[in-house]
Amino acid sequence: MSTNSNPFFGADPFSRFWTDFMGKMSSAGIAPPQPTPDFLKDIRRTFFDAMAEQADQFMRSEMFLNMMKQGVESSLAWQQMMAQFMQKGLSAAQMPSKADTDYFVVLLRGMEDRIVNRLDDLASRVENLETNLSASKPKAVKA
Amino acid sequence: MSTTSSFNPWFMSPDEMMGHWQTFLNKLTAMPKVAAVAKNVKVGATPAKIVRREDIVSLMQYESDVEKRFETPLLFVFALVNRPYILDLRPNKSVIAHFVNKGFDTYNLDWGVPQAGDRHLGLKDYVLRYLDNTVDYIRQQTGQDKINLLGYCMGGTMTAIYAALRPEKVKNLILLTAPVDWSHKENLLSLWCDEKYLDIDKMLDVYGNAPPQWLQGSFLMLKPVQNLVEKYVNFWENMDNEKWLEDFFAMETWLNDNIPVAGEVFREFVKSMFQQNQLIKGELNVGGERVDLKQITQPILNLIAENDHLVPPNQSLTFNNAVGSTDRKTITFPAGHIGMAVGGKAHRDLWPEVCDWLAERSDPV
Repeated sequence: MSTNSNPFFGADPFSRFWTDFMGKMSSAGIAPPQPTPDFLKDIRRTFFDAMAEQADQFMRSEMFLNMMKQGVESSLAWQQMMAQFMQKGLSAAQMPSKADTDYFVVLLRGMEDRIVNRLDDLASRVENLETNLSASKPKAVKA
Repeated sequence: MSTTSSFNPWFMSPDEMMGHWQTFLNKLTAMPKVAAVAKNVKVGATPAKIVRREDIVSLMQYESDVEKRFETPLLFVFALVNRPYILDLRPNKSVIAHFVNKGFDTYNLDWGVPQAGDRHLGLKDYVLRYLDNTVDYIRQQTGQDKINLLGYCMGGTMTAIYAALRPEKVKNLILLTAPVDWSHKENLLSLWCDEKYLDIDKMLDVYGNAPPQWLQGSFLMLKPVQNLVEKYVNFWENMDNEKWLEDFFAMETWLNDNIPVAGEVFREFVKSMFQQNQLIKGELNVGGERVDLKQITQPILNLIAENDHLVPPNQSLTFNNAVGSTDRKTITFPAGHIGMAVGGKAHRDLWPEVCDWLAERSDPV
């Protein structure tokens, strides 16, 4: 049996949390036996603070980040598979799929961009013409 | 030794038990009132009308009996995540009301809810089309060459980009918890957006837009204990406090009113900002134009939340040194990201000061 294997792997974070919690309690001076009306609230506040700190540390850990990455990737792979399946089905039924509408939107946006750019070119040409015209007008009056 | 005077958390006297039982019954009897408050919750405090629409974007102008004191209008620009009514949540928690009551002609830009077909909307569309057209509309309507801009969070980043690209149209710029520098990676959101752990291209290829549930889940997980445990403990304790419940449900309405973020702009934010930090480096390109923050020479007010878990102060602090303005001020306020907009302390101490700052730099009537 390997000595490195730890059957109570969850105990480490818990003991860290508990030590942190108790440390916070004692440093805040929260101790029985003289209860005050806010005594339980103080314990709860300290408990939540310790929990929040542990949760924050856990979510920064390599283990959590890799777990998150794998979870997202699995979910995306599943979604992608379902989308492809639907696309094939809709295509067989000669109906447009989401991918078709996406493609249509891309075409429209390309067209819109070309028209807007063309309009911008035309606007700047008109502006130049107007500038040239206004610059040449006084000369015409003089003539 | 008396057993009743010494404290033992595991055993209670009959009196204490009765007290707890009575409290529990009080909470139960408050249930119908809780349901009534939840059902009748109202958000949006200041009367407003929609004065302009373009695709999914709309512009609201606020109405007031207060005499207009400034010619320079003010436009609020909110983030693309969630809805802009957080700036005008409740009568006693409205940032917008401060400016309206001060005599500013005030507008708020609502980016709308992107649909599947809007996945291609990028920074170019949002900043150089929707925002620019809105600014032009306000300039035309008010006869002013320049307007005041106040951007919140991601909306602040976009107003900063806009002010750098179209400085001739901006009179004063106020940024409210706006991230501009992602060189510090210690906050959770930056860590989760690291390219090592998040393949944003793959995600948006599948989803199109950034799904609201995914965004909401990520924001909740930034402070899981506070958002998933403490909040409900506080709710239980304040169930018989109607005023508290009204604020709670107004806030919950906003928190759960999630909208998707258009895919392309989300991709640009994650890649260009979170992963490559292009804005502060002067490497960001929007619609073929390089964003140079040095072009911003207007007066700047940078509002930073000291306890911000979404946009930590170090993501905003460097902005004032990156711009070309000489009139620049930073206020670091002891509040959280949302607390800056809805916190009682912010409404008492911060917003009157911000109104005064803007009033000094706006053209009077």
